[in-house]
Amino acid sequence: MAGTAVVTARPLSRINATLVGWGAVTLLGALLLPWARTGRDLGVFAPQTTGFDLFSRDWMLGVAVVCAAIAGAVGTVPLPLFARGRLALAAGVIGTITAAWSISARGAPMGPGAFITILGLLALIGIGLALGGYLRADAFIGVCIVWAAAFVMIFILYPLWAVLQASVFVKGRFTLDVVRETIQSPSFLLINNPGTPEDEWHMALVAGAIVTVVVAVAVFALTRRVRPTVLWTLGAAVGGTSLIALYLGFGAVRNSVMLALVVSVVSTGLGFLFAVLAERSRLPIRRLFGPVSILPIITPPFVLGLAIIYLLGRRGFITYQLLGLSTTVFFGPLGVALAQILAYTPIAFLILQGVVQALNVSLEEAAETLGANRWHILRTVVWPLARPGIANAFLLVAIESLADFGNPIVVGGGKPYLATEVFFSLIGRYNPNEAAVFGVALLMMTLALFVVQNRWIGKASYVTVTGKPGQGLTRPLPRALDLGGTGVFVLWVLVIVVLYGSVAVGSVTKLWGFDNTFTLAHLKGLSPTGWAVFRTTAVLSAVAAIPSTAVGFLIGYLVTRVTFPGRDMLEFSSMLSFATPGTVMGIGYILAFNQGPLLLTGTTFVIVLAFVFRNMPVALRAGVASIYQIDRSLEEASTMLRAGSSTTLRRVVLPLVRAAVLAGLVFSFVRAMTAISQVIFLITPQTNLATTQILSYVNYGTVGLAAALSWVLVVFMALVNVALYQITRRLGVRQTAEMLKP
Amino acid sequence: MKRLVIVCLVLALGAIGSANAAPAGGRVTVLCSPNVEWCDLLKAQFPKATGMQLDFVRLSSGEALARLRAEKANPIFDVWFGGTGDPHFVANEEGLSEFYKPKAWDDLRGEFRDAVGGKYIPLYIGILGWAVNGRLLREKNLPEPKTWEEMADPRYKGLIAYPNPNTSGTGYTMVATMVQVYGEPKAFDILKRMHKNVAEYTRAGAAPGVLAGRGEVAVGVTFVHDAVLQILSGFPVTYGSARDGTGYEIGGLSLIKNAPNRTNGMAFIDWALSPAAQVLAEEAKSYQIPSNSKTPVPKVAPRFQDFNVIKYNFVKYGTASVRDALVNRWTKEIFPLPK
Repeated sequence: MAGTAVVTARPLSRINATLVGWGAVTLLGALLLPWARTGRDLGVFAPQTTGFDLFSRDWMLGVAVVCAAIAGAVGTVPLPLFARGRLALAAGVIGTITAAWSISARGAPMGPGAFITILGLLALIGIGLALGGYLRADAFIGVCIVWAAAFVMIFILYPLWAVLQASVFVKGRFTLDVVRETIQSPSFLLINNPGTPEDEWHMALVAGAIVTVVVAVAVFALTRRVRPTVLWTLGAAVGGTSLIALYLGFGAVRNSVMLALVVSVVSTGLGFLFAVLAERSRLPIRRLFGPVSILPIITPPFVLGLAIIYLLGRRGFITYQLLGLSTTVFFGPLGVALAQILAYTPIAFLILQGVVQALNVSLEEAAETLGANRWHILRTVVWPLARPGIANAFLLVAIESLADFGNPIVVGGGKPYLATEVFFSLIGRYNPNEAAVFGVALLMMTLALFVVQNRWIGKASYVTVTGKPGQGLTRPLPRALDLGGTGVFVLWVLVIVVLYGSVAVGSVTKLWGFDNTFTLAHLKGLSPTGWAVFRTTAVLSAVAAIPSTAVGFLIGYLVTRVTFPGRDMLEFSSMLSFATPGTVMGIGYILAFNQGPLLLTGTTFVIVLAFVFRNMPVALRAGVASIYQIDRSLEEASTMLRAGSSTTLRRVVLPLVRAAVLAGLVFSFVRAMTAISQVIFLITPQTNLATTQILSYVNYGTVGLAAALSWVLVVFMALVNVALYQITRRLGVRQTAEMLKP
Repeated sequence: MKRLVIVCLVLALGAIGSANAAPAGGRVTVLCSPNVEWCDLLKAQFPKATGMQLDFVRLSSGEALARLRAEKANPIFDVWFGGTGDPHFVANEEGLSEFYKPKAWDDLRGEFRDAVGGKYIPLYIGILGWAVNGRLLREKNLPEPKTWEEMADPRYKGLIAYPNPNTSGTGYTMVATMVQVYGEPKAFDILKRMHKNVAEYTRAGAAPGVLAGRGEVAVGVTFVHDAVLQILSGFPVTYGSARDGTGYEIGGLSLIKNAPNRTNGMAFIDWALSPAAQVLAEEAKSYQIPSNSKTPVPKVAPRFQDFNVIKYNFVKYGTASVRDALVNRWTKEIFPLPK
């Protein structure tokens, strides 16, 4: 008899352990743990604020507790799966809303009871969504999605919202006065300077017109076609005039934008040159590219700036003692540009190295068989294919330059830059609203660049035609390019060695630049404060690296493998940390977490949180990149063998992405150790961080101590990176640019 | 995997939470504005004298005021120690601090007690002047300037540095001093002409001294005790000041309103004003004149009598509106001028 499969109605489900479990946890937490703290201290709770005590007085809290109980009970009552899911969902949603309302109405800082209740209710929502069939995934994924969404909203979106709000809400009233005053302030942007006799706008328009005419004529002469001429002319008109006006102007916008432009162009150019050399050069020096490229990652942000002053200042070693000049030209945008180019070229290099590696060699071979010489191949085959990657690198370097805080503070020459003005208007002019306006201006710029990079260029891939990398040996470079480029690289290495060397020298000489007697006094002088600070920084960074990588990879997994409404929003919001300058996030945290239920400023916890959410995108990108490479069938096999998502993640996916996770951990750690722009607002009496300590030393002129602490940091992180390199090599995975992208 | 993550998170939370637990003998949290060595010494010596723990955050006076303003609803600091007087004034005006009359009130030097009129407690006195790099001046064949107006002489192009009044109490003291010496219109005219000579507007008050020490500028306007520090560190500088009138600061000490450890804060203030605590300044290489008349003055500290000090109106120039007006005027009229 043929086995006719009769679909009998499955017996109405047995007890759903997940629902019951979470319901119980939430219920117990809500009733037994206190819902409020007395102050900032995370361990000190307000008396008489457990759920039991408040149950009768606060009806919202009561409703929330009842909802948790209902959701848990739903897990025991025999019901069809869908019905259970929907009931749990409804209970969870109502519970979350009422619990949140109750917490904000009370206004006191949240205690563990409140925290567990909200977490639990969100988990119940996640389970409800999964069981109700809205997600086509199981409960684990559901909970992860809801929690990830909640954390991203609270710790990334809410602070940004607080900044936006502070720019237009002064003392509770909506007003555009602060925006207007700030934009009209000379520190922001001033084109027509009342102190000069000339009319700068006039000059800019005239010069812009000249440039436009020249460009139009040149393009037409070269291409003899109308469309490119029109496009280039328009670009020259708008771009040229704005650039000239900016150049003649004054203010933070002017300095930051010009800096970003110059640094991006030079860094990308150098990065491309080095990438081509690294991949195609026949000279042995190409082995140096690897180690040199990670140097900026391990350097505290202003060490290069410091070294520049000592080597290139009025009494600098190079400018004064070697060249006999007496000039302060390196104090200011020029010095900052130099420091930024040194810092960001390796990042451009890493991105472009990936691009050049992925180029299809067979296309170049084809061109060569058709008789093209090597220069022609470079110009007509390599360059067009690499163009999107170059644009990608350009935009990322521009974002980094705009957001840079450490270098302008040290070498900026006292001139205004957007990132530093955010800081100074809060700290110097005591005006959080003005700081918010600067922050919003900076954020809009970086966000615009980020959106362009993400949507337009990030998705386009021009490098392979067939999708498979081509076979064959890479073609050699033209001899002149090889030698010339290597010369540039050697010069580069020399500059880096001299700069880092000067910091090393400064840490062991008595008075850097004056008295060059060898001394260990600075290293000794680091105790106790310096070493204590270093230890605190290392511990906090390590502690933050774990959740940072975990959350990043988890969200990476979610957005790669699961389809759910709001997926793109989640990914974009998570990546927002890339686009947000640290100073903006810093004031966001101060404004958002300084009062009310979410009172967190003044604790070490908020610094750890800042690290976690700042570095999460690194792990996210690494996660996405590595999970793409894993075939879905492995996970499907696991699911078919009745493993839940958590088991699949733990036993199938995780071992395959081990190396990327490890790399992510180390890079989160390293980024946290060198962070300054966000955490300078958050340091507390118990936690001073190494970077802010170095800045204090610099400001007080005790440069020996600054150099000593910097050197200690650099050595420590170099060791950490070497360890990582050994481990990943053993695990057989190459470091990818994803992890090192800032 | 998830369990591992949760366990790690909980452990982390616990570790951090326990780090925040209050110690047995009581603690006091100090917002410390002078140099970090002095703060370190306070942290080391205060427990020996009173058995209480001291934690500090080092922020310069402008930054400290901003932090207090931001945390007004939930202060974490008990006492504000040091820093120029004007921000302490503003703090009192805005209700961020309260005046506490210390036990040693009668021992404090009379002129300074009266000058700050019940708004904050005088901690030390520093005289405004400048650090001069003689070598650089000789190279350029220039004499040391004797008045503020002489610094506007075009011969000193690129050789001057003074702190930005937006961030530095020192910078603001300089502008307010010039306004009191010359009157506001002439003072700003001098500042405009001086602008071309300024190599850098520094962020910190002590930085121009550092620049002069390094030879980046020839004249760095700073408090004289900061210049003394440069000299004692071995840098080739001397100090000077304006012969036609120079200002001074009365460093402040304030009890924060709604401080979490109010009584401990008051105990700290009383201790900080005692001679035993005030001599720590000298050990920390801070050569201001201490406010307690019983404290021995460091030998290298600049003496009031050697300088032509004006009768600085602290009450007027400490008022937030006056201060903001002057700083804004400087930012709009001086800062953006081309060099």
